[in-house]
Amino acid sequence: MENRSFIQRLIGRSEFGPLVLLVVELVVFWAINPDFLSPQNISNILAFTVELGLIALAMTLLMTSGEFDLSVGSLFGFSPVLMWTLYNSGVTSLEVGLLIALIVAALIGLVNGWFVTRLKIPSFLVTLGMLLVVRGTALFVTDGFPQRTWSAEGSWLANILVGDFYVGPFRIYASLFWFIGAAIVLGYVLTQSRTGNWIQAAGGNPNAARARGVNVNRVKVGLFILSAVMASLAGVISSLRTSAANPNSGTGYELEVIAMVVIGGTALTGGRGTIIGTVLGILILRVMRNGIVLIGVPGLAYNIFIGAIILGMMALHSWLERRHQAGT
Amino acid sequence: MAEPLIRMTNIRKSYGRVQALVDANFHVNEKEIVGLLGDNGAGKSTLIKVLSGAVPLTSGDIFVRGKKVNFRSTSDAIAEGIETIYQDSALVTQLSIARNLFLGREPIKPPRFLNRMDQEAMNVVARDLLRQVGITKNIPPTTPIGSLSGGERQAVAIARAMHFDSDLIILDEPTNNLGVAETQGVLSFVRSARDSGHSCIFIAHNIHHVFQVVDRIVVMRRGKVVADDIDPKKTTVAEVERVITGMSDKEIRDAIADGRESHG
Repeated sequence: MENRSFIQRLIGRSEFGPLVLLVVELVVFWAINPDFLSPQNISNILAFTVELGLIALAMTLLMTSGEFDLSVGSLFGFSPVLMWTLYNSGVTSLEVGLLIALIVAALIGLVNGWFVTRLKIPSFLVTLGMLLVVRGTALFVTDGFPQRTWSAEGSWLANILVGDFYVGPFRIYASLFWFIGAAIVLGYVLTQSRTGNWIQAAGGNPNAARARGVNVNRVKVGLFILSAVMASLAGVISSLRTSAANPNSGTGYELEVIAMVVIGGTALTGGRGTIIGTVLGILILRVMRNGIVLIGVPGLAYNIFIGAIILGMMALHSWLERRHQAGT
Repeated sequence: MAEPLIRMTNIRKSYGRVQALVDANFHVNEKEIVGLLGDNGAGKSTLIKVLSGAVPLTSGDIFVRGKKVNFRSTSDAIAEGIETIYQDSALVTQLSIARNLFLGREPIKPPRFLNRMDQEAMNVVARDLLRQVGITKNIPPTTPIGSLSGGERQAVAIARAMHFDSDLIILDEPTNNLGVAETQGVLSFVRSARDSGHSCIFIAHNIHHVFQVVDRIVVMRRGKVVADDIDPKKTTVAEVERVITGMSDKEIRDAIADGRESHG
């Protein structure tokens, strides 16, 4: 078993399927429209990829622990609204507004975690309820209108989060480095750290984990907080980049993020998760959204492709899983 | 006489109006394998759950080497050296053998603030332990538990309890759903655990398995311990069955005949 060749080990990994799919996508779109791989288009894909990607990275850990969070899309919309409302009304500076928005998000994550772990209510119902509460609050506070946003150019906060520069012909946003940093840190946590072992055990067999003295509830509550804070940060980054704070932004992101995570090979039922797979899943969906428009398929057909990818990848993962169980 | 490793006195446990344990008295000596037998609903599982900290007792006392203890959780019992192995819930199937062995007690590589598991050290110890419990097949410690057989999983769980120096290993139905060869393997793991100084409580429906491995048999009926000093070398299976059911030979034969009639 230890003597398997490099190729066999590569094929046996759950990230192999998503990797092949991404390469196929890139080749097909590039073959039909060579502009697909133009520096401008790649820069565009990367800018938006990062914002959903930050949420997907945190969701990977949460889903590995056996839970998921439907309230991330509403937090993506709510946090910038809160930050700009505080700033516009002269209550705080923009920086303190961001800090307050992140703290409020952490509290929302804490409430989600408390309901799930203490009251034993499934995370689907808890976070669905929270989605409505948070989205409703954002709409109520703003009367449904976008917030007045100050052009953030020049502020140190905007420079750190979304400042852009050119590397050759590529326009790179600072948020890309936040995303890469988060992927490295969370990948390390999941695969190398003791906490990662507890996260996987909490999702795989919570009773066994508890019997070994692992505080499963604390692990899950921590991950709900992480998920909420990352969604909040992603919303603020998006708002600073586009100079817009719309209470409706982020609608439907929760399902797209969950799709990215499961396409990458993380199990919806918990116990198994991969950050590399999630990065691939994020790229697969963002490249698909961008590519089908570029090759002339109507944008409204996007969901058909996404649905087909989810079904196809689930079939592949399930086949690999059964093959693995059979020991072949 | 020396103080036993575990002594439980006048244990009562009620679930609402149901009395699951009624003044049960039970003990386990050092380096002893005790077979705990009883019909369904006799109170074996409840007694074990109380001893492993999974459920609180209603009244009574538990002593570990003469010291009174109060278990509020399974962690408390583990801290006192009492490890319970349930057949299906002891391990995380998605994690590797080594990660399961060290779950909750993973060694950390310096610098400590990085919280990084020492995976090489875990693999070395895991390989060694697998050999100790008699797994001679070349199974890498990075293999997920999900791809092991039922007997191998039991071996990993027993190896874990031995490595962390649990004084008492409680095995709940360890031979259920196992083939003949695997059952013999598990029985030999239990013997090797005793030989290296551990005590065991062995619960099984199959009395023949219990007879092969235990030093002493304890029988429970209706929440009470009705016999606690049966020597398997001086007793027959039929005699123990009579104690378990509380019926004479004739009553047992009549009950079987009644069953046949009602099914026929």
